[in-house]
Amino acid sequence: MSEDLLKANRNLAEENRRFLQKNGVRAIDVMGAIGSGKTSLIEKLVQQLKSNYEIAVFKGDLTTTIDAELIARHGVKTVAINTGKECHLDANLVKKALLKLDLKKLDVLFIENVGNLICPAEFPLGSNKRIVVISVTEGPYMVIKHPFIFMEADVVAINKVDLAKAMGVNVEQLEKDVKTVNPKTMVVATNCRTGEGVDDVAKALGF
Amino acid sequence: MTSQIVQSVLAEAEKRGAKKVTEVHLIVGKLTFLGLEQVRFAFEALTKGTIMEGSKLIIEEQEGIVKCSHCGYEGGFKYEDDPLYHVPVPTLKCPKCGNVVSIVAGKECTIKSIRMMV
Repeated sequence: MSEDLLKANRNLAEENRRFLQKNGVRAIDVMGAIGSGKTSLIEKLVQQLKSNYEIAVFKGDLTTTIDAELIARHGVKTVAINTGKECHLDANLVKKALLKLDLKKLDVLFIENVGNLICPAEFPLGSNKRIVVISVTEGPYMVIKHPFIFMEADVVAINKVDLAKAMGVNVEQLEKDVKTVNPKTMVVATNCRTGEGVDDVAKALGF
Repeated sequence: MTSQIVQSVLAEAEKRGAKKVTEVHLIVGKLTFLGLEQVRFAFEALTKGTIMEGSKLIIEEQEGIVKCSHCGYEGGFKYEDDPLYHVPVPTLKCPKCGNVVSIVAGKECTIKSIRMMV
């Protein structure tokens, strides 16, 4: 007997990827710690991209639709995925949520994962790109303490850079840490409250 | 995760009409986030009252293996041992040529074998 229990998720993720691709939808998995600014970044990206693309957002959270409502204010289709107790989204939850969308009309799907730097690394969802959002308020060791999620990231946003000085955190060092773990990832410094750097995130994601 | 393991084993045992499961052999990749202590603890708790109760749990760890498409290196990770980091930090840089490698092993959680009495 040989059964890889994590592979079941990876296979489902592949299925999602093919399904999205067939319908011409670009999916972006947004990961990062609680309060790092995932929702704010998505809000800013939606504002910037919605005139050119038809966008939908999956918002993963344990409970509540607070964030989903924040994003829905921008006039894009938003589906809240409440995991109940689970600390991450998995490919099956995404597969079910995909049934709630008219993919034919869609160009871009942002999938906001549950706030966590550990488990989401283990569960691909079927996205084309993965972005990790960290912020300077999480301290200077965020990257080296969680190297594996950064190995999975195409883009890393270092958020709240306006607070770096107050926090005594060196943004260049964080950037260097990301590049040490994963030299091929792109790093962008952002302030998602003002929108600083969001242009560059969009570019790094291929928009 | 452990409950998935137990469910899979129970399903397999039932399929084969086993009276008792005596041994479960797992392979767990070192790049997964499974804590082996926790897996053992959960295994014991979850198998209570089932035909798996008291079975021996063998966990074999699989090292993380990377492969470089540039120079052909296949083996363990390179670690950056900067004193600033307190711990060696794994990197996707090839230990031989410095290009970016891809992970080929270390992410699995596989039930390798089950011993049971029929």
